[in-house]
Amino acid sequence: MSSAVVATELVKEFDRGRYTLWQRLRREPDRRTRFRAVDGIDLRVETGEIFGLLGPNGAGKTTTMKMVSTLLEPTSGTIEVLGIDVARHPREVRARLGAMLSGERSLYWKLTGRENLEYFAALYHVPPKDTRERIDRSLAAVKLSDREDDYVERYSTGMRQRLALARALLPDPPLVILDEPTVGLDPQSSRDLRDRVRDLRAQGRTILLTTHYMEEADQLCDRVAIIDHGKIVALDSPAALKQTIRAEEIVRLEIGLNGDGLGLLAQLGRAGTVARQQQTNGTLAVTIHCTSARDLVPAAFDAARAHGATVQHVEVVPVTLEDVFLSVTGRELRE
Amino acid sequence: MTVAADIRAFVASARKELRIMRRYPTLLLSVLFWPILLPAAAVLMGRAYSGSNDPQAIQAFAERAGTSEVTGFVFVGYAMYMWLSAMLWGPGSALRTEQVRGSLEAVFLTPTSRLVPLFAPPIAALPAIILDFAVIFPAMWLLFGVVLPFDAMLRAVAVAVVGIPALYAIGALFASLVLRYGEIGPVVHLTRGIFVLACGITFPVAMLPAWAQIGAALLPPTYTVADTRAVLLRGEGLGAVAGDLIFVVALTVIVAALASVVFRWLDRSARRTGMLGRY
Amino acid sequence: MYELRAAVAIAKKDLKTFFRYRIAVVSQIFVPLYQGVIPGLLFGASFAVGGRVVGLEETVGTENLAGFIFMGGVMSGLIATGFWSMAMGIRNEMDAGTLEPSWLTPTHHETLLIGRALGGVVWQILGQTALFTIGIAFFGLRFRTEIVYAVPAVLVAVVAMVGVAYLLAAGVLLIREANFFIDTTNFLFSIASGTAFPVTILPAVFLPVALLLPTTYAVDLLRVHAIGQRPLFDPLLEWAALLATTALVIVLGRWAFARAVHVMRVRGTLAQY
Repeated sequence: MSSAVVATELVKEFDRGRYTLWQRLRREPDRRTRFRAVDGIDLRVETGEIFGLLGPNGAGKTTTMKMVSTLLEPTSGTIEVLGIDVARHPREVRARLGAMLSGERSLYWKLTGRENLEYFAALYHVPPKDTRERIDRSLAAVKLSDREDDYVERYSTGMRQRLALARALLPDPPLVILDEPTVGLDPQSSRDLRDRVRDLRAQGRTILLTTHYMEEADQLCDRVAIIDHGKIVALDSPAALKQTIRAEEIVRLEIGLNGDGLGLLAQLGRAGTVARQQQTNGTLAVTIHCTSARDLVPAAFDAARAHGATVQHVEVVPVTLEDVFLSVTGRELRE
Repeated sequence: MTVAADIRAFVASARKELRIMRRYPTLLLSVLFWPILLPAAAVLMGRAYSGSNDPQAIQAFAERAGTSEVTGFVFVGYAMYMWLSAMLWGPGSALRTEQVRGSLEAVFLTPTSRLVPLFAPPIAALPAIILDFAVIFPAMWLLFGVVLPFDAMLRAVAVAVVGIPALYAIGALFASLVLRYGEIGPVVHLTRGIFVLACGITFPVAMLPAWAQIGAALLPPTYTVADTRAVLLRGEGLGAVAGDLIFVVALTVIVAALASVVFRWLDRSARRTGMLGRY
Repeated sequence: MYELRAAVAIAKKDLKTFFRYRIAVVSQIFVPLYQGVIPGLLFGASFAVGGRVVGLEETVGTENLAGFIFMGGVMSGLIATGFWSMAMGIRNEMDAGTLEPSWLTPTHHETLLIGRALGGVVWQILGQTALFTIGIAFFGLRFRTEIVYAVPAVLVAVVAMVGVAYLLAAGVLLIREANFFIDTTNFLFSIASGTAFPVTILPAVFLPVALLLPTTYAVDLLRVHAIGQRPLFDPLLEWAALLATTALVIVLGRWAFARAVHVMRVRGTLAQY
């Protein structure tokens, strides 16, 4: 299988702070600092797969996407898209790339859906004889054919997002890049958009997407790279990533304490792996990875009773990518 | 609600506008840039049209404008132009911005009088107006060597002080209309254009056809700009323009009342249609 | 060929969007009329002696006040197109979020500006036709048939304004307060080109700046042919200066625009709003 995207030792640094003309004239010291948004990423996206970059806001996902789509120049490192060097041939890359980066804001609201696509078809260099058919196909692919002559200002957020996806499909691209495609959408619209993304894979396209929704990454992606502080901290299929937790189930407990809870935690640690614990106002919230909740929960109740504590809440959930993120970064995805 | 509480709300609202203004330094720059360059360009236009001050042409101008001092005539007219711009743009766009971001609805949810959001934003235009006044006299002197007598300048300030409340009321009336019609840019251009054409701002009122001169006589800026020119350029005393000034005060009261009525009507219509939240 | 098609699509999109804001269309025709033409005419006429604007005749060699003002209006409209429609238009697209998807297409970044120029020129032709019709009907606008000889000069000025717009776009894509910058530089550029009064009236220190602007020669050639104004220099020399300054501004503008695009790709400011 050939690779659609290959990134090698990718680094992007930005200046943080400002050094104004006034400060330069007054010869004040330059107090700007360098900030590494992407810190040595190596990435290989295979043809025909849905590849997800999962991480919290500010992790470096969007910066990576913008470098792949030629909008940003890397500080160092190389990117090849469909075998083409992004730095040397950016226009050739853009001709083969369908990208949806900033969603609904990126459309002309005073034009109709079809007029938007006609405009971008010309910019994508779609041959005139193919334009009509290509637009019809793109609109049908995102199920907007019945609203094509309405002004975009009359669309719902979900419809605008789908139109932005239709635009990305205009060049009939082998590679589609989607940055947070479902952000701001209601659950129904999100499901709808995910279905469209699956359709794209079925057509043989490669999809590279970013998300901070672990369910989205889990349900949609063939492989996921977990990214944090500009680095890839784990990369595999969602199933394989979840297997790294070495647990079948996750038990979340809230325990009312009578003491410091250290002895209780030690006892719980013998029944499973304590992945996370937090004490607030005499309540201990603890997440435990275990092979069987049926065994762990009675043991937890016994342990609590033995330490004069009370179990107030029990939740048993299957292992998710959230837990994987927690185990590799020590933080929750939402933090 | 007590009047004191409303005054406090008024001051808070005005202070908010001034704070916002302070955070946009180019606003200050434009207050310095335009009051100098616009009239300077117009003075040079005057030179082109007068054959670089050909005595015959200047004499013809003096018969129509009441003064042969073209530079002074132009600078006073443009000062009024800048005041009108500030009063139309400032409060109108402030109220419109509040409407668009939804904060106007939030103000309407408070027990504060409905007149506070109407009359407070024009305060932000006052520093610009004062600065304009402070800029034009030195600019006339530095660029064109026109020096005006100090006592004439004091009389001009007195005329302006009487005229400013009228501008303020026009600003408020305009702002409430903007709420109804949404798009502010073209409406400002149109309204300011009407004032520029009617009030003798960039050319003598005598150049207008008779019917337009009657319209001009109903607009307060016509008097303010003519009286300022009279005391500054013809050296007339305040007594000579007292009748005009009283008329300006009367017009001010009418315009302010009209602004309140329009705004109250909008408020009522908003409660029926939910318009304030829409844009 | 594809780039030309893209440019036409951009122009069509701009015009379509523009015509959907009806109040803006009306305002674009009437603003020059009541802000420039009518006050200018009445101010000029206030210097008239016995119905003749003798002062203007002394200054430029013709007393055709309406012709002088309307021809200046053609060029100031063109300059405003370069400043607002082309350069500031790109910035507005950046703020609105629509520039990014355009930059994601294989269309050359320079074409985005040329497309806007095309739309702006079409609008200028429509707007000026309306203004001239009003001028002829109501304001005594008269001009000579020789005006056709000035058309090539105006077309070269359009190309020059594309160059100026590249330069400006390079600035406004990088600075924060673009509106003030465009507003003031547009005014100064227009004045220095002699749209409101001949550049010979300018204070001596500004004259060299005026002579560096291609539009100075374009507006002069337009008035020379249309209303028989006394030329600034020999018209042949003016033609040479027009072509030379246009070539210079195009080269400079393209270089500055390419630099700005590079800086934006390094800083990642394309989608910052």
